[in-house]
Amino acid sequence: MKNSDALVLGIETSCDETAVGIVSGRKLLANVISSSVEEHARFGGVVPEIASRAHLEAMPNVIKQALSEARVSIEDIDAFAVTAGPGLIGALLVGTSSASGLALAMDKPLYGVNHLSAHIAVDSLNSDHELNPAIALLVSGGHSSILQVNDLTSDVITLGSTIDDAAGEAFDKIARILELGFPGGPAIDLDAKSGNPNAIEFPRGLTLARDLVEHKYDFSFSGLKTAVSRYLAKTPEYIRADVSASFQEAVVEVLLLKAIAAAKEVGIDTLIIAGGVAANSRLRALAQERADKAGIQLRIPPMNLCTDNGAMVAAIGSLAVAKGLRPSELGFEANSSSGITRPIF
Amino acid sequence: MSTYLLLDTSTSRTSVVIVKNGEVVFSEYSDGALSHGETLPKLVVAALKVASQIDEVIVGMGPGPFTGLRVGISFAQSFAFARGIKWQGVCSLDAIASQFSDKDFLVAVDARRKEVFYARYTDGVRIGEPNVCQPSQLDALQIPIYGEALNQFPDPSAFVDIANSNKTYSAPIYVRRPDAYPAPVGVKFRPMTQLDLVPAFAIEKAAYGKDGWSMAQLKEEYAGSDRMYVAAEFGGELISYAGVFNLAGVADVLTLTVADGHRRKGIGRELLRRLIDWSRTQKCEAIMLEVRVGNEEAIPLYTSFGFIEISRRKDYYGPGKTAIVMRKELK
Ligand SMILES: [Zn+2]
Repeated sequence: MKNSDALVLGIETSCDETAVGIVSGRKLLANVISSSVEEHARFGGVVPEIASRAHLEAMPNVIKQALSEARVSIEDIDAFAVTAGPGLIGALLVGTSSASGLALAMDKPLYGVNHLSAHIAVDSLNSDHELNPAIALLVSGGHSSILQVNDLTSDVITLGSTIDDAAGEAFDKIARILELGFPGGPAIDLDAKSGNPNAIEFPRGLTLARDLVEHKYDFSFSGLKTAVSRYLAKTPEYIRADVSASFQEAVVEVLLLKAIAAAKEVGIDTLIIAGGVAANSRLRALAQERADKAGIQLRIPPMNLCTDNGAMVAAIGSLAVAKGLRPSELGFEANSSSGITRPIF
Repeated sequence: MSTYLLLDTSTSRTSVVIVKNGEVVFSEYSDGALSHGETLPKLVVAALKVASQIDEVIVGMGPGPFTGLRVGISFAQSFAFARGIKWQGVCSLDAIASQFSDKDFLVAVDARRKEVFYARYTDGVRIGEPNVCQPSQLDALQIPIYGEALNQFPDPSAFVDIANSNKTYSAPIYVRRPDAYPAPVGVKFRPMTQLDLVPAFAIEKAAYGKDGWSMAQLKEEYAGSDRMYVAAEFGGELISYAGVFNLAGVADVLTLTVADGHRRKGIGRELLRRLIDWSRTQKCEAIMLEVRVGNEEAIPLYTSFGFIEISRRKDYYGPGKTAIVMRKELK
């Protein structure tokens, strides 16, 4: 095999999606996802025990389906990659154990990878552009940060992150208050389409002059959440779509304000938006507008590659293979809270 | 004759054995309740150096703590799939029992939450499916008990015989009711309002009699500051309510009451989860609650959320009615 078109199979089980992707170099061959989200919806959030159980049940078929979609057999795979953290520990272990089983059986290298790095790496499947360097806005249910990506597999600097809730978490919580159900992101996105984003003036967290000294690229969404509940309490006749749209606008504006400022200031003219919240339609539209205005090249993966998937794990595995990085040692420890500064375990 | 790769991760011990032509050619284990994920691949690497051509994989399907158990099973199913060979699962307790020959005995392993998974064996045969209970209930039977407490673990080298003579399993042996189970369809959770106070009082009275809150107390507790109340309704009718109080950075569960006829359906679990969520948003360092000694429905629920007993209060619910004080860190 040429390192640059190695066949890599990636496994993702950090949360509620059991996912397997297969890439050949930077080319996506298969992306199969089995989700237990409907089972969690009843609880208004992901239940770790249900997630782990579902991963174990779904895994064999998801692997088989990915291989058949990619029209390759397991013997053809050159390397395996698996999310080793961050995520729910019991869920992660189903993935890492399964990946170890495959790699050991086939005597092929295995890369334990960081889930957050993988979200960004998926961009390499999406364009022919050189991935590095870039500013990355990583927004998901568990994370909201602005990263300076000098080299995704070895040199990533965190410029700022949320000091309280993640953006996706804020969506979930507001959706719960508005009784829009779980997961909150898609529900609010949909509801907001018929609302007026300027109807209600919700606060933009950490954007005052004094915040910009200490928390230049940090986010805070808890004040916004409080503001929304206060508004609902004192406005019995509120229009839900307006609340959704105005809330969403407040989140999206702050995210973009800070991400574009970072790109300008660091002097990197590429902005990658990744993670589940990058599937938000308002974020995608406004990002394009703002990036064009600032003369910044914007890249956002297609919707199905923004939420958790196996292709992103295969993608970072593929970058590691292409760069000739050493595989992870078998028996590496899955880590529920590992940071992006450790892309490969 | 065949070569078998035999794995067990159902207890705090991770064991890997290779049996080749009826003979054990590799057998190693490592102890550590939280390290199956790291240990298993390393042991298998060592095992494959002894015999890399494997014809079949057999794995212990528990019962056992879920996280470790799933490590062995997911490894086994993927390994077998990649090699294109057969895999099957056996009851791990049988591989402890195989080491003993008493006429009548029990095998028990740690099930966490102060419980054990166990099975009974008579004349070398397991009686029924594995079950779960408190250790004291087994002691009461007064027959020998083997297992984890005596440092006796499943021996995978017995797996081949067990698979040939006993029932095999294609999914983990989940004895305990799942940690999470769906709330009944049609139950709606929402903030509690003034209008709920009258039906809440009726539920309170039915549940606790004269030990419960009076209407006046209920009103007062409801109206206090720094608290959050949630309600559950079914068919438009109040069936449950719960409240929590943020007292200087430590949350205190004020009440969690489910109407008769709606218990054991996951409603209490859902309410408690919401109380904990709220306490977290209040940045509370911990959440505490009191529960009556012997409340066999509530205590396992609290324990499953990570509450632990920190003290007892005598006569808390009236003369002779002791309360257990439980606390969960939220950090
Ligand atoms: Zn993610």
